[in-house]
Amino acid sequence: MSDERAAILKGTLDMLILKVVALGPSHGYAISQRIQQISKDYFHLQEGSLYPALYRLENRGLLEAEWRATDTGREAKFYKLTKKGRKRLETEMESWERMTEAVALILRTAE
Amino acid sequence: MPPFLKNLFAGLRSLLRKQGADREMEEELRSYIESAAEAKMRAGMTREAALRAARIEMGSAEAVKEEIRDAGWERAIESLWQDVRYGARMLRKSPGFTIVIILTLALGIGANCAIFSIVNWLILRPLPISQPKQMTFLAFARGGSTFDNQFSSSELLSIREQSKGVFSAVSGLAFGGSLGGYSGPDGLTVDGTTSPVTAVYVTGNFFSTLGIRPYLGRLLLPSETVDAGADPVVVLSYRYWQTRFRGDPSIVGKQAAINGHSVTIVGIGPRDFLGITPIIDMQAYLPLGMAPIAERIRPDLLGDPKARILCVLARVGSHTSMGQVQAAVAVIGERLAKQFPRPREETRLMARPLRPPGFLNGGDPLPVLSALFLTLAALVLLLAGVNVVNLLLVRASVRGREMAVRAALGAGRGRLVRQLLAESLLLAAGGGIGGFGFGLLAAQTLRSIPLYTDVPLAFDLPFDWRVFAYTFGVALVAGLLVGIVPALRATRSDPTQVLHEGGRGSTGSRERLRGVLVAAQICGALALLSTAGLFIRSLESMRHADLGFDPSHVLNLTVDPNQIGYTQAQGQAFFRTLLDRVRTMPGVVSASLVRNVPLGDDSFAAQITVPGYNPPPGQPFSSVQYNVVSPDYFRTMGMRLLRGRDFTDADNASVSSMAVINQAMAARFWPGGNPLGRTFALANNSARSFTIVGVVNNSRTDAIFGSFQPVFFQPLAQHYSPVMTLQIRSAVRPEAMAGSLVRLIEDLAPSMPVFGIRTMAETLESPNGLLVFELGAEIVASLGLLGLILAVVGVYGVVSYAASQRTREIGIRMAFGARPPEIFRMMYRRTGWVLVAGMCVGLALSSALARLSAGFLVGVKPLDPLTFVTVTAVMALVAMAACYVPARQAMRIDPMEALRHE
Repeated sequence: MSDERAAILKGTLDMLILKVVALGPSHGYAISQRIQQISKDYFHLQEGSLYPALYRLENRGLLEAEWRATDTGREAKFYKLTKKGRKRLETEMESWERMTEAVALILRTAE
Repeated sequence: MPPFLKNLFAGLRSLLRKQGADREMEEELRSYIESAAEAKMRAGMTREAALRAARIEMGSAEAVKEEIRDAGWERAIESLWQDVRYGARMLRKSPGFTIVIILTLALGIGANCAIFSIVNWLILRPLPISQPKQMTFLAFARGGSTFDNQFSSSELLSIREQSKGVFSAVSGLAFGGSLGGYSGPDGLTVDGTTSPVTAVYVTGNFFSTLGIRPYLGRLLLPSETVDAGADPVVVLSYRYWQTRFRGDPSIVGKQAAINGHSVTIVGIGPRDFLGITPIIDMQAYLPLGMAPIAERIRPDLLGDPKARILCVLARVGSHTSMGQVQAAVAVIGERLAKQFPRPREETRLMARPLRPPGFLNGGDPLPVLSALFLTLAALVLLLAGVNVVNLLLVRASVRGREMAVRAALGAGRGRLVRQLLAESLLLAAGGGIGGFGFGLLAAQTLRSIPLYTDVPLAFDLPFDWRVFAYTFGVALVAGLLVGIVPALRATRSDPTQVLHEGGRGSTGSRERLRGVLVAAQICGALALLSTAGLFIRSLESMRHADLGFDPSHVLNLTVDPNQIGYTQAQGQAFFRTLLDRVRTMPGVVSASLVRNVPLGDDSFAAQITVPGYNPPPGQPFSSVQYNVVSPDYFRTMGMRLLRGRDFTDADNASVSSMAVINQAMAARFWPGGNPLGRTFALANNSARSFTIVGVVNNSRTDAIFGSFQPVFFQPLAQHYSPVMTLQIRSAVRPEAMAGSLVRLIEDLAPSMPVFGIRTMAETLESPNGLLVFELGAEIVASLGLLGLILAVVGVYGVVSYAASQRTREIGIRMAFGARPPEIFRMMYRRTGWVLVAGMCVGLALSSALARLSAGFLVGVKPLDPLTFVTVTAVMALVAMAACYVPARQAMRIDPMEALRHE
């Protein structure tokens, strides 16, 4: 895994997690797997950054967690989006889209 | 709930239930690993292999947990706590090292604590009154920084009337004792016993102006004011009440007498209130109207616009700026000067802040003195700190391995620095506690110094929150400063390099730092020692100064017939009998009475005119000092009569006024001529003319330094003064005479208080004598000695450590044929330059401090060559000696031993 791939833009990790959790409550491993799958193996999320982010988001009241059984019957901590989290996700996505458009615009014009 | 509050609560919860949170984290991570393993098992791995792979992927569970914890703020506190605990463990592991460092810091911090407690006592503590910043006193500015703060009763009324816009209250006070032209304490009789008391007479609104409440009973009322004798009441100070009556509450309401005049004790002032200065206890407060009665002065004195006996205190209104106040007061001053002309042209009336230590007339030397002492104390702490830095550096190099291991295990540099800083802060906290203890001890020692004065000086150096805060502030700064450099150094090196080389990294910068430390110590110690030298030389020059009298074998006892209500006739009769009886006592060589004992609490000055003497323009009158004495005074004091004669018992009120003058007065007004038979007169009363009957040698009067002042002496029989000091020159130890003399006085006048019992030699150590200079010299010398010890220990430590680090190098050199003297030279060459550099900077610092001390030195120039040369030589010798031992040890190293070392 190269450094280039591993690096998730600072500040976007929270948004990615929120987005993935928005698809349905899931636990830590599932979140990291889904990010990996959806990004077609571009992002490899390390636990060392995943869990601090999850705890941070939970502390800020954007996520809430409960212990539940997984499909395979084991106990895991499932994260779910709160109302506040959903709102935050919307605003972050909006501003992300505006930013990428703006970046793309500049890159195109500069050609 | 606002997010930050939620965050706060979450953090607190996880701090409190750390274990719970930890377990949850662990559970979660385990479930993660199992999920990951399941995925791998689906891909065909065995369960064991899958779990192993998942664990490897995740890395250390502990590290992940750390990172998770790092996400919250609670983490910072927790790691701080961890650091502190770890630090305490490390310090416990090497108790010797810890104790040495804490003691060193405690000495440095203690010096600062003690000095600060003096500064706090003198100038920092605000008066214990309400809104002390609003309190001012009024004074006409004079030349330089002197002023005139005496006003008449009419002026006070006029000021109060005109200043209603800017002052919320204006009150006046007059010091007792001085009102009738005498100074000295008054007598307070309670239950038949009379004791001296320092009384002030105040307007009824005095206490309400200050805004203070009584401890017991009541204070004076605004209605109790100027009508002569209308309100015979007295308020005692808490301190006086405690010392004299041991806090007996039944004292309030008791009938008492002040100078023999009946008054009722109505209350006790608040606990910490000593009057308008924090250093002298004003012990009794009476309404101004009691002054003419109790002090036996003419009853119309308060109505006389020329009798300026009052100090005026004014409280600035709460919405008034000082600018407005000064403008208003200046206008009032101009009007006052027109309405009540003063003998001297006064300039501008000003409101001056009533800051401790009270109204000091003339330039205030205390801020400079405080700055000087605090600088010296800071230098001591610097020396202590450098020693500690050095010890920590040595230890840091020993602990290089530990740091490298921790860094290799993933601790960030910030974390390691924080860890080491926590350790040095712990050390500083220990040093702070020890320093506070040393400070208390030093203050206790200072407090126990006998003061030899009858002025109730409150030399109590209180340890209030300011001293506490300063001490621990100093400790904190010291902890950070001594910790930061070793911490940065210990954590700087690359872990792999340290682990491979066994701690022998590049030594160049370390050597440089060590040089700087040694130079700093030499510099600080030199500055401390030179200042101490100057103060000691100054004290010595005063000790050996010509006093003009012989203080040995003389005992002083003071009595004041006024305190028990004697009239002038009774007083004169008492003094005559007293002298007659004392002179017949065995062991008494000579006995006499004097109003103002040299270097005692008081001295008097008079304006005179001298026929035939042309005063310099602008000064129509000449100011000279005067004293009142009985016959034999010059004999008792061992002074020499140069011309004419002493007073005799025949020189009483029935013959014309006469005087004995000193040489300085003769030289000033009758240079080259014979003053015997000449006359001079008092400026304010030209009818009082004195004929000179004798000339005596110059002697010290109110100060132990400076040029001799012109003085004239008048006979007690012609000029009554109630406060007189009996002086005995004895053949035996003068102290041994005290008991029988007190019994004799009790015999003559049973209720007469006797005070100021001390030998003339002790009087030389009084506040007006050597006390201040001795205190100064003792304090500065203690700091200097402390500095010298710290510097010697430090230099020795640094050099011997450097030598031990170079054992191997020395061994190699010697193996290649270097002779011991060459090694010796090599060791010295390195340190020699450092010593020279330290001395140069030290001398520069010393001369700066000398300039700061200039105002406090007598008989020695600030840049006194003897002091500077001696101190530099001593410092150089001491430094060389401190280097000698380690250098010698290095020289003796057996090459084989050295090479095998490590």
